[in-house]
Amino acid sequence: MLKTIGNKGLEEHATRDHVLFYLNGQPIRVQGADAFLSLSSFLRRHRRLTGTKIVCEEGDCGACSVLVSKLSAEQPDYRVVNSCILFLFQLEGQHVVTVEGIGNPKDLNAVQQAMIDCHGSQCGFCTPGFVAAISASLEKHGCASVLTKRAWKQELSGNLCRCTGYESILDACASVGDRYAPLAARYDHSSQRQAYLARASEEVVIECLEDGRTIHSPTSLARACELKNLQPDIRLVAGATDIGVQTNKGRFTPVHLMDLSRVAELRELRLGQEVIEVGAGVTWTEFWQVTQECLSQFEDVLYAFGSPQIRNAGTVGGNIANASPIADSLPLFHVLDAELELVSIRGSRIVNMNDFYLGYKQLDLRPDELIAKVRIPRPSPDYHLALTKVSRRKDMDISTFTAAMYVHVEERQIVDIRIALGGVGPVILRMREIERSLLGEAWLHETLLAAGEEAARSVSPLTDVRGSADYRRQLVKNAFLKLYYQLIAGQAQEA
Amino acid sequence: MSVGKSIAHDSAIGHVTGKADYLDDLPRWENELVVGTVGSPVASGVLEAIDIREASELPGVAVVLTHADIPGHKTIGPIICDEPVLAFNELTYIGQPVVVIAAKDNDTLRQAMKLVKLTVRETPAILSIEEAIEARRFIGPARTIRQGNASEAIDSAPHRLAGCSHVGGQEQFYFESQVALAVPGDDGQMTVHSSTQNTTEIQFVVAEVLGVGSHKVVAVCKRMGGAFGGKETQAALPAAFVAMVANRTGQPARIVYSKDDDMQITGKRHAYRADWEIGYDDRGVIQGLRVQLHSNGGASADLSTSVMERTMLHMDNAYHLPHAEIHGQVCFTNYPPNTAFRGFGGPQAIAIIESIIEEIAIDLGLDSYEVRSRNLYSANGDQQTPYGQIVKRNHLPEIMPMLAASSKYVQRRAAIAGQGSGDPFHLRGISMVPVKFGISFTSKFLNQANALVNVYQDGTVQVSTGGTEMGQGLNTKIRQIVADELGVSWQNVIVMPTSTEKNNNTSPTAASAGTDLNGAAAADACRQIRERLTEFAARRFTSLEAGRCESPDNVCFEAGWVFDDRNPDATRIAFGELTKMARLDRVDLGARGFYKTPGVDFNRETGKGSPFLYYTQGAAVAEVRIDRFTGEIQIVQLDLLMDIGESINPGIDLGQIRGGFVQGMGWCTTEALVYDSRGKLLSHSPTTYKIPGIGDIPDVFNCELFENSDNVLAIRRSKAVGEPPLLLGVCVWTAVKHALSQLSPEAARSLRLPATSEEILRCIELPTTNKLRVEAV
Repeated sequence: MLKTIGNKGLEEHATRDHVLFYLNGQPIRVQGADAFLSLSSFLRRHRRLTGTKIVCEEGDCGACSVLVSKLSAEQPDYRVVNSCILFLFQLEGQHVVTVEGIGNPKDLNAVQQAMIDCHGSQCGFCTPGFVAAISASLEKHGCASVLTKRAWKQELSGNLCRCTGYESILDACASVGDRYAPLAARYDHSSQRQAYLARASEEVVIECLEDGRTIHSPTSLARACELKNLQPDIRLVAGATDIGVQTNKGRFTPVHLMDLSRVAELRELRLGQEVIEVGAGVTWTEFWQVTQECLSQFEDVLYAFGSPQIRNAGTVGGNIANASPIADSLPLFHVLDAELELVSIRGSRIVNMNDFYLGYKQLDLRPDELIAKVRIPRPSPDYHLALTKVSRRKDMDISTFTAAMYVHVEERQIVDIRIALGGVGPVILRMREIERSLLGEAWLHETLLAAGEEAARSVSPLTDVRGSADYRRQLVKNAFLKLYYQLIAGQAQEA
Repeated sequence: MSVGKSIAHDSAIGHVTGKADYLDDLPRWENELVVGTVGSPVASGVLEAIDIREASELPGVAVVLTHADIPGHKTIGPIICDEPVLAFNELTYIGQPVVVIAAKDNDTLRQAMKLVKLTVRETPAILSIEEAIEARRFIGPARTIRQGNASEAIDSAPHRLAGCSHVGGQEQFYFESQVALAVPGDDGQMTVHSSTQNTTEIQFVVAEVLGVGSHKVVAVCKRMGGAFGGKETQAALPAAFVAMVANRTGQPARIVYSKDDDMQITGKRHAYRADWEIGYDDRGVIQGLRVQLHSNGGASADLSTSVMERTMLHMDNAYHLPHAEIHGQVCFTNYPPNTAFRGFGGPQAIAIIESIIEEIAIDLGLDSYEVRSRNLYSANGDQQTPYGQIVKRNHLPEIMPMLAASSKYVQRRAAIAGQGSGDPFHLRGISMVPVKFGISFTSKFLNQANALVNVYQDGTVQVSTGGTEMGQGLNTKIRQIVADELGVSWQNVIVMPTSTEKNNNTSPTAASAGTDLNGAAAADACRQIRERLTEFAARRFTSLEAGRCESPDNVCFEAGWVFDDRNPDATRIAFGELTKMARLDRVDLGARGFYKTPGVDFNRETGKGSPFLYYTQGAAVAEVRIDRFTGEIQIVQLDLLMDIGESINPGIDLGQIRGGFVQGMGWCTTEALVYDSRGKLLSHSPTTYKIPGIGDIPDVFNCELFENSDNVLAIRRSKAVGEPPLLLGVCVWTAVKHALSQLSPEAARSLRLPATSEEILRCIELPTTNKLRVEAV
């Protein structure tokens, strides 16, 4: 079976049995079982680059942060990622820069110097991760001085520190100024690019002879569909922000994997007049770059949604396919009636987001199908869109409760209202009955309170580590009340 | 002079480049074994059988050990010897180590762990303080501190309140989890590298467990990736495990806890329950306080009795309590043994008394700042604590008004009161909390330190102390102290890894006293060397022609030079030149220094004494904004003013203050330990356990040092800084309480610690609270 896939590929696709990437300027070639390693293990154990630290192994502390940049891009596009939840095979065609590659004791970069001068390190265990994250921000934004303290807090929300209270690190960020020398000066991107481009379209096929595990990394959607058809149990990997955690914690053992990150069709993103078309492989960072104006209400959710590291790896399709009832994007997609395009070798079909989830982690997705894209209608200016994400901590926290409310009120009367709640059931709940009951009603405190109380009664949330059932019910009710006040506050402002 | 300068942390370059090695970064030995444990599946049970046969036979497994394989002591404990190294007969908490496995690699280890079969009979567990009280399961004796007649004072007071306060625990969340490496040596000797605050304890425990003399064990700690008290005693078990493996196999062995395991099986800050009664007058002046404290000790004593002692000693916080009765009792529960965490029982005391103060203010309709001010110890040094220590050099009567003025406390408080329920979205609160934290170990014998200073012939210096570096900057401060003592630049001084080979019978680096003790011992060693060099130099500087008789009193050590101050230019010689000549003249250039804190003592039987050398003090005021609909809070502004004497390194101390505050703030807000009904910790990784992130810190964060040079009792007139700022985090919690008091007194009184969003919303939604009634604009 495995052989079949491999051989069939050989006829039409150039393939190779190893992953190619660069590490701190040096070309690296990885094959066999090593391709399943996490980048952090590879760095620490195989390359003795122990500056990259392991703390949580679940992408939630940032101590393992490194920079990656696409070799095939015209210009290097360094971004920060968590190396503990990144498989080596995902690095195909990337340049990885670790803290050791950013600067060394004899040649400190400006971030490192600023962290020293501002007492930005205490125990030092989180420090390499911060150096990587700050450097990545400067790569992205250029001169540091343009970033406000608030912006720096957002840039560094993926890095925890237990010692400093962060202020000294923020002092360091503020003091780097224009002394930062981009990594492009240290590493010759164009020659790396030249060397890699010749191999960029090759499909990577890894087979571990000893235990039969496989990895396929196709470069076209057609080929990805073909592989999915031939081997329906192949596990799709986009950003690995969840599967990487499951693997580290022993809850998942990768056997047959397909890396989707190189499929160009899945990375397309189009902002139309009416609809935003997003390829399933678009990362949240890429998504936000294009949609921040037309989906400005998503900002607060997005900044609490993972961290820069997670948003740089995690994809729109991944969040949808993972089917978590607390997935942060889903309530929004539900109330906007987003549509999914599912593809297979048989063709494609469209499914409304509201019909896609059949039960807890159960999807209307056939074994041979992939999610290709999502079409999101742009919010109408006549509507008020309110998004809620409640979690124990403001940044980088998994939600206790999420909600999206999309409402059109005219002359204090509800013309249309759509409500989707997360974290209070096995799937995102569209509150159809309450929506219907509110149609035509006046926009009054008691109306919304009654609707909120009804909604709270109708859901059956769990008590778990993120919150009790009672708390979640209170949040459901209050989401309605908050919506009430938001809308009148907004109207007051306009008036 | 180096002292007083904000030089960088001595490992800063290593930190920022990733070159600073932590224990797991050290290269693997060729025959090194990977060690792990199999733990108890139940919180309480009887261990009927352990079957390790299959695990032992798995290829690649070097050894599988149980309690039967322990050559020496089978139980350990820093105060009470009641903690099994490996469980036998009885299982007392989930994850309690039962079996130690050593294998050639991680995969084999993981496989072998699954092959161990434990036959366990589950028994009813004690999973709360209340259940322990009910079952009368306690650890150590009940203790009391008493002054005056509390009952009478409360009964005759014009106002009385009684209540029950609940204070939660906290995970240390050091980034580097517990880790140890044992390397066997000649003739039964063992070197153990441990991430520990207490090399001596590692040495003693390993020697006891192996059944050998302490002289056969060397314990080493170069640096820790954070500790916060969590590595004061609890680094001992992993060290014992690898030592047992290395002892049995003759191979080096290393254990690295995963973050999940570490959080699930090691102890934390103690949760407390306080049942209290207080009497006060119309102005809020406390007449009498009676409090019964119970702490959640976990399944063995560890440091719990000592932690309880510090709670009792801090029940007064900064307030004069002429009539007080403080009872303390540690409870047994089926959780991992709770242990030290920055503040060591002090934060719980401050949270309890400050909560009471806030309630007095609510009851009387006063500003809690007024109530606090009226109860402060006077600045005159004429009042004593409930345990009988005179409070001297008390600067809080100056600090609080200064901070109130600089933070515009009064105006902001008035603005919040004026706003009332006008904002449908938010509640606001503001509160100032003072802190007086006693410095010294309350166990007298721990207040000692020794140091080894080696001056080399070129004039460079190595210093070794029993103090351990966990990020707090101890090594940097010692470097500065030693540099000044010898009159050389700090670059010529290096502080070496902590090792029991160089410093014996040391105390843990704890109680904020690391610099006080080890800095003073290092200074003592320098003094001895300087005296010898002075004598040698004095002879050399003698010149009958120039009219200089031999005069050691005129020899100066400054900025790398040694000279006779009667004629500096003619006598000036580089320190490194002098040391070269001194060596040739057979002058001893090494010394061991010693320091013991003078005048501290405490009788825990009577609850009386002067346990503290001095107090570190400060105050902080927090303003919070609460989302009425979700309970989420934001700290709008934080102003903090601390008296840390003459700072040895202001840059490092500012880091201690800000970092400590944020840790305390986390304890008071987001850091909730969540357990299931069987005693299993559910919040055991950063995904579910939320230490403050960068977005949680105050929007405005002002932090100032109070100028003070009266602390002649500590090295270079400095003050200990490690723990006290953590306690100031309580002001965030009292600010939340103030915010809730605007809904109803019940909402405020009901608040528990930590004030998570869920807890705050619970209080907001209490049936008694005023419902939101803002109508359409």
